[in-house]
Amino acid sequence: MGWRSISIAPRLALWALLGSALVLAISGTILFTHTRDTILAHTHREAGALTRSAASRIEARLDRVMVSTQQLAALIDRPAPETDKILHQALKANHDLSGLAVAFRPEDGQTAHAPFVSRDSEGMLHERDLRDDPTQYWEQNWFLGGLTCRAGCWQRPFFSKSRHRWLINFSVAIVRKGRPVGLVNADVSLDWLQDILGALHKPDGAQAFVMGGNGKYLAHDEHDLTGHAGSPALLKALAARTGTPTLLSTNHAPDLGETSWLYGAPIHGSYWSLGMLIPEQRIYAPLRRLFVIDLSVGLLALLCIAVMLLVVTRRTLAPLGVLTARAEHIARGETEFELPAVRGHDEIGRLTQAFDTMRKELAAHIEQLTEAVRAQQRLSSELEIAQQIQTSLLPSEHYIEAHTSRFELHACLRPARAVGGDLYSYFMLDHRHFCVMVGDVSDKGIPAALFMARTITLAKALAAHTLSPQQILKRLNQELCVGNDSCMFVTLLCGVLDLRNGKLTLASAGHDPIILCGEGGAHLIETETGPAIGLDEDATYPSRTVQLHAGDTLMMYTDGITEANDAQMRMYGIERALKMLDHAPRPEHASEYTRRLLSDLDHFVGHADQADDITILALSWCHTADEQASDMLELDLPSQLEDVFAALERCDQTMTASGIPSSVRADVRLVLEELMVNMVEHGHVAKADGCIRLRLECEEDVHVSLRDDGHPFNPLEAKPPPTTTDGAADPEQVGGFGIHLVRAMASELTYSHDAQGNHLQLRFVNNPRMESES
Amino acid sequence: MTLNIRTESTSPERITLFVEGRLDASNFGQFDSETQQKLAPLPEGGTVVLDLQDLEYISSAGLRSFAKIRKQMRTRNGHTLLLNPQPQVRKVFDIVKAVPVNEIFVTVQELDDYLDQIQRKMMQEDR
Repeated sequence: MGWRSISIAPRLALWALLGSALVLAISGTILFTHTRDTILAHTHREAGALTRSAASRIEARLDRVMVSTQQLAALIDRPAPETDKILHQALKANHDLSGLAVAFRPEDGQTAHAPFVSRDSEGMLHERDLRDDPTQYWEQNWFLGGLTCRAGCWQRPFFSKSRHRWLINFSVAIVRKGRPVGLVNADVSLDWLQDILGALHKPDGAQAFVMGGNGKYLAHDEHDLTGHAGSPALLKALAARTGTPTLLSTNHAPDLGETSWLYGAPIHGSYWSLGMLIPEQRIYAPLRRLFVIDLSVGLLALLCIAVMLLVVTRRTLAPLGVLTARAEHIARGETEFELPAVRGHDEIGRLTQAFDTMRKELAAHIEQLTEAVRAQQRLSSELEIAQQIQTSLLPSEHYIEAHTSRFELHACLRPARAVGGDLYSYFMLDHRHFCVMVGDVSDKGIPAALFMARTITLAKALAAHTLSPQQILKRLNQELCVGNDSCMFVTLLCGVLDLRNGKLTLASAGHDPIILCGEGGAHLIETETGPAIGLDEDATYPSRTVQLHAGDTLMMYTDGITEANDAQMRMYGIERALKMLDHAPRPEHASEYTRRLLSDLDHFVGHADQADDITILALSWCHTADEQASDMLELDLPSQLEDVFAALERCDQTMTASGIPSSVRADVRLVLEELMVNMVEHGHVAKADGCIRLRLECEEDVHVSLRDDGHPFNPLEAKPPPTTTDGAADPEQVGGFGIHLVRAMASELTYSHDAQGNHLQLRFVNNPRMESES
Repeated sequence: MTLNIRTESTSPERITLFVEGRLDASNFGQFDSETQQKLAPLPEGGTVVLDLQDLEYISSAGLRSFAKIRKQMRTRNGHTLLLNPQPQVRKVFDIVKAVPVNEIFVTVQELDDYLDQIQRKMMQEDR
C-alpha cells in the first residue's frame, strides 16, 4: 500500500503535524539560542559581581591584617617586655589573626625575647618564646625572608601540625637605623578564607577558590585541594586578570572535571586571586529542563491538533468515500442508489449535488443510448434480411446446361456494403435462347438495392415476351422511367445467346463493353450503347450481333472492377484486366475466369477498401452440332391420309426425343390430325397433287408451322359446333368439332393466306404451370 | 398403336365394348363397321357401355363414331354409357361436349348403380 493510497484525512493530519513540528523546531531553536545567550550573559554578570565582592571582602580582611601588622612593626622597634602585652591586645582586637610573633635577629650572640602568641581553636590565647623551639628561628626561611619585607609581605602557606590548620604568614620587617633588625610575623588562618568562600551565594555546582601568588590554592571549596597547585591553563587564565569570563575545557584543565566558565578577580594588596568555576552544563540545566517541558507540551498539543484534524477531515470527507463507491456503481451502469445527504453548500455539498445531476443525466443518456442501440440492431437485422432477399433475387452463381453442356456460366457478386446495386441475371428465353444481363444501379446501399430488385424482377418478366435484347432494354426502360422521381438509373448490358449457332445479340444501356476471350486472346466488344435505363423513356437501344466460336468465353462486369483503386488511388482499369486474361492460358471452366480476374484484382488492390460493388460474370459456349435434327422436323407431304398419319408418327417421335411430355404430344397430334385431315378431305378436294408443308420445332414450347396450297380456310373464323337438344354434339357437324378442338388445344394460333396458300402458325405451351392456370 | 375392340356381354340387353388404342380419322371406318355388327343383336332398350380405360387418343373422327353409336341406340330407346375415359380423352369430351356429362362414369360400380336406378324407374313406369 503506497503513500498515495492512504486516505486524505491521515495524510492531511500527518502533514499538519510535520509542518507544525518543523515550525516549532525552528522557533524553538531560535528561542533556545537566544535564551541561552541571555542566561549566559546574566550568569557572567552575576558571577563576575559575586567574585569581585568576595575579592573585596578578602581584601578588606587582609588590609586589616596588614595594617595591624605594619602598625605593630612600626611600634615595636626593639625587644621590650611589654611586647607580649601588645601582642595579646592586638590578637584580641583582630580576630583574623590567629597568631602574632615578634622576633629579632640575634645581636652579639644574644637572642632577645621572641614572643609568639597564638589563638587556639577555642579562642584561648597561648604564649611561648620562639627561642625555646628546637630549631633556631633566625636561621629559618620564614625569618630570613621576612627581614627583606620592609613594607610587609605574605609568606607561603603552610600546614601547622600543632594547630591542625593551614596558615599563612604576613611578615613586616622591623627597621632600626635603616636596617632590619627583626620582624613582626602575623599568622593568618586560612579558615576564614574558606568560610568566605563557603558563605558565597554561588550557583549550584559552582566552586570558588583563592589562588596564591605561587599558583597553589589558598582555599578551595574542595578542602583537600588547599595547598595543591592549579592547572597551568587555569593559572594562565587567572594571570590575565582581564576580569572577563573564560571558558575552560577539560582538555586544557583536566583537574576541572567538566567544561566550566572561570570568573576571576585579583585580590589587591596581595598576589592572590579569587576564582569561581561554574560548569557550563549547570548554567544551561534549568533552560534545558524548561525546554524539555515546553517541547513535550508543544508536541502533545500538536498531536491533539493532528488527531482533531484527522477526525474533522474524516468526518468532512466521509461523503467523498460514498461518492467514490457510487461512481463505481455508475461505472457498472447502475444509476439507482442512495446518495449522502447534502449538509451544506460547501465543495462536498456541491459535488454531491453535481453527482446527483450527473446520475440523472447519465441515466437519461443511457436510456437514449439503449434505445439507439436497439434501433441500430433492428436496422441491422433488417439489413441482414434485405441482404438475404437480395441474394435470393440473384440466380445461383454457377450454371451448366444439364442436357448438352452447351454452355457454362459462372458469376460472382461482391457488394461493397451489406446490400448493393449491382445485379446479374440469366435465364432461358426459350429452349435455345439464353438471356444474360449484368447491371449497375447508380448509388449504393438500400436505395440502390431496392432499385436493383425492381430492375431484376421486371427484366425477367419482360424478357418472356421477346427474344431481342434491345426490346428487353427498351421495355425495361419504359417501365422503370415511370414514377422514377429520384432519377435512379441503371446501366445494363443484356445479351441473348442462340445456343444452337452461337449468335450473340448484345444491347447496352450505358454499360461497360463485354470482354471476349477466344482463340485470338482477350479483347473488348465495343457496342454502341443507349442511355442508362430509367432516365429517358423514349430511349432506344441499338443491338449488335457477334458470332461466337466454340470455346469462347464472354466476360461481363461492372465498373467495380475497372474503377477499383489500390492504396495509391491508382485504378485497376480494363487494360490491366485484358492484359491479364490475354497472357494467361485459357482455362477449362468459366469459374476459372472469374476466379482469376478477382484474384488479380485483389492482388492489385491490396488492403485498400472496396469502394463499389463488384460483379463479374463469365459465360463459356460450346457448340454441339448434332442437335438440330432431334428438336426440329420439316416435312413436305402429299395431301393423302396415309401420309398425314405417317407424318403424325414422325412428329410424335420428334417430340418424344425432345422430351415433350405426353399430354402436350397428344394435344399436338390431335390438332395436327384435325387440321391435316381437314386439308386432305376439304381443302384439296379435286386436287390430286395437293401438298402440305409441316415444320415442327421443339423448343421450350412446341412451335408448328403448317402450310398448304388448298382452298383458303381460316379456322379462326369457323363457327362453334351446334349442339343437339340433349347437350351432346350433333354427329352430322363433325367438321365443327375438329376446328373447335384445334382452337381449344393450341396455345397460340395465327392464320395467314398468301401466294403459297394457307399458313397456320401454332404454339403449344410446354409449361405445366401455365397450363394449370389456363 | 392401332385400334383394338373387345366385347363382353353380361346380359342380353347389355354389351360392353372395350376400346383400346387410338381412334382417329385413319381407323374410325373400321370402328364403325365393327360396332355396327356388335350392336345389331341388342334388343330394344338395351345398353351399350364403352369402356375407355385403354383408349389413349381420340380425334374428332372418333367422336363422330361415338356420336353415331349414341344416336343409333337412342332410336332403339337404348343407352350409351362411357366408362373411365383417360385424361386426354376426357379433355376432348369436355371441349366438344359430344356426350352429356351424366353419361360418363369413372368406375364400374358407379355405372352399375346408375343402371339399377334406370331399371327401377322403368319397372315403376311399367307398373
